[in-house]
Amino acid sequence: MSTNGESPKEEPKADPRDPSGFLSEIIGNAVTVKLNSGIVYKGALQSVDGYMNIALENCREVADGRVIRNYGDAFVRGNNVTYISADSI
Amino acid sequence: MDEKDEAHEPLDLVRLCIDEFVVVKLRGDRELKGRLHAYDSHCNLILGEVEESIYVAEEEDEGEAPRVRTVKKQSEMLFVRGDSVVLIAPSEGVKQ
Amino acid sequence: MGLENLLPLELIDKCVGSNIWVIMNGGKEFVGKLIGFDDYVNMVLEDVTEIDAIEGNSKLPKILLNGNNICMMVPGGDGKLVMADE
Repeated sequence: MSTNGESPKEEPKADPRDPSGFLSEIIGNAVTVKLNSGIVYKGALQSVDGYMNIALENCREVADGRVIRNYGDAFVRGNNVTYISADSI
Repeated sequence: MDEKDEAHEPLDLVRLCIDEFVVVKLRGDRELKGRLHAYDSHCNLILGEVEESIYVAEEEDEGEAPRVRTVKKQSEMLFVRGDSVVLIAPSEGVKQ
Repeated sequence: MGLENLLPLELIDKCVGSNIWVIMNGGKEFVGKLIGFDDYVNMVLEDVTEIDAIEGNSKLPKILLNGNNICMMVPGGDGKLVMADE
């Protein structure tokens, strides 16, 4: 483990099948994020943290399959999230 | 981790918005637009030059789709408790 | 072999690789193959059907489900009981 680098993040990940393994697998990919309220956000997954806070790039707010709003970047607070779905897997 | 620049964790995106105008979606069909002065890990926020929009569904008589009325309020500065925050986005990137 | 001394999470661990039926607090349900989970019971599911009484069903190839709002999990469940009732 490096102690001098800025981000010692990419250590060998535990199990590629558990949640953190899945997340590192889909970072940068197109995802769909559904909130408990039913609102859906689509975008490229920039990052996720332990609270399931999410940063999305080119984020679109979708309702009834229609894009109702575009955000450039968006931060979504994790407590509102029901799931993160990989669009291409 | 990833190929390019700053974003290592989601809150970095909020950090990059400091002193910029942001759109904040809140629980209960509320929305704020204002200058982000400060935030913390709970997403407690201090916003200045704020416009608050409250979306109220108005009951239509018989069979018509409920119309949404928007109530707007201005405030010089306010504190937002983090637990009501749903989404934070830099205002310049928001379209429509 | 009895189930008397099986801890709840050991039961879920036994489900890895097979189908599981997840019922959320809001009444929404998910059925899919359990790929893995963590200490908070956030779960990775594959070939998922999202079951929602209002929005209807939808298919999702692979998701990370937030463990925060999970109410109940049924090993091997396919959600059929609920759908048959409709």
